[in-house]
Amino acid sequence: MSPIVVVLLLFAGLSEAAGRILPLVARRPGMSRTLVAGFLLPAGLVEGAVFALWPLTAWTMTESVLSSPSPGTGLVWTPGMVAPLVLAAVLAFPLLGPLLHFLLFVGVGAGLVGPLATASGLGWWSAAGCVAVAGAGLGLAVETVRRLVVRISATRVQEAAA
Amino acid sequence: MNGFLLWACLVGPALLAEALLARYEVLAYGAGWRVPATVLPEGVPYARGASADSPPGAFLVYLDGIGKRRVRDSRDGGQLVEALIAGAPELRVLGQVQPYSPLADPLADRPVWAWLRRHIGVVLFLHNVVQTFVAADHRYRPLYNRAVGSQIATQLRLAGYLPDSGTPVVLLSYSGGAQVATGAVDELHTQLRCPLLLITLGGFHNGANDLTHAEHLHQLTSANDRIEQIGAWIFPQRWRLLRGSKWNQAVRAGKITVHRLEPATHFGPQSYISPTAQLPDGRSHLARTADTVIAVIRVHHGSALAQGDPRT
Repeated sequence: MSPIVVVLLLFAGLSEAAGRILPLVARRPGMSRTLVAGFLLPAGLVEGAVFALWPLTAWTMTESVLSSPSPGTGLVWTPGMVAPLVLAAVLAFPLLGPLLHFLLFVGVGAGLVGPLATASGLGWWSAAGCVAVAGAGLGLAVETVRRLVVRISATRVQEAAA
Repeated sequence: MNGFLLWACLVGPALLAEALLARYEVLAYGAGWRVPATVLPEGVPYARGASADSPPGAFLVYLDGIGKRRVRDSRDGGQLVEALIAGAPELRVLGQVQPYSPLADPLADRPVWAWLRRHIGVVLFLHNVVQTFVAADHRYRPLYNRAVGSQIATQLRLAGYLPDSGTPVVLLSYSGGAQVATGAVDELHTQLRCPLLLITLGGFHNGANDLTHAEHLHQLTSANDRIEQIGAWIFPQRWRLLRGSKWNQAVRAGKITVHRLEPATHFGPQSYISPTAQLPDGRSHLARTADTVIAVIRVHHGSALAQGDPRT
């Protein structure tokens, strides 16, 4: 993975974390700017790591559905493919945010399908299925973690208030 | 640079940045990073119209359209408020509320925005448009409603309103002000427990706010008002199909009365508040709108000065 891709993944992770955390901060009175920044950095790293895993997971799924070994060596992010994810904070955009966020991910996912199909020899639609399932699975996993963190932190706030 | 490149490289990112930055204010309010302003600039009264010496017929809070940038100004140069004060001396009128600022911080008085107003004035309109969408977004709406509801309650108290006094409060909102007015209902009920009447003029709102604690909502509209129609199209809660939405609940409860003000438009020389556009009866659009608002208030509250049904 090239340094530029690592930097872009980090920015994309921070962007995604900002898009998710800022609406929550607005509903949690008493959170300082320092605390918000403190949340953003680890959350950004986690989100960036999940983004990094997307092509790898899609490739693993492709290999599992292929009957014979694939001709390619794998699927990796290129700067052009990962760059749009830096706009992931669009999630916080009022009213249209979730829709724009969804479209962004569909677009980025579509960008992964072609290289995956070429590298694996799988058909376009099958490759698209692998990318979609990998993305949805990772999304589900990270959403579970997010909800757990929110629940645990809410419990701590209640205990502190009691 | 062709049009597409201009959009892709300059206008698009600028719109996106503005839209993302716009909710910083509600974020700062919610997190408690800044306290909303309550004091008005020197020389600006907390209310005009009926004297504070005795209880007025009603307190009227005017929530302006997206042109509102300062405490003093309004989109029409204050003509509607002036006409209301002249036509209904029993009203105590507040025009200083900042519907598009949860921190009650007038946009045009902020250093960067003051510069933008002089050089790219349209950005201020854009900011207020986005604030309307922030107020309509389900993630920010409860907080936004509480912020502006508190701002209105504070300004009413400073203007002499006594909680539990039973004096009616009228929220007259223009365009995007309707989103804020419908959102302020619960907070005003909680803080002041006042009889609350809503009047929307070309109201642009998403229909998601609960109107249970409002006595009634009078919708002043026109078939030529494209902006109000866009609001009714783009927000599903305004569709008849969603019977459970707060708006449709209010409709079924008989809380909404529609008044047609044809041929008025939302803005421009034929707008609801145009002092020059003439009706067949010789009145200007502005005069008819002011007459209708006053008649609605008087009829609704059974004032001794009642002049009959509002013109529809």
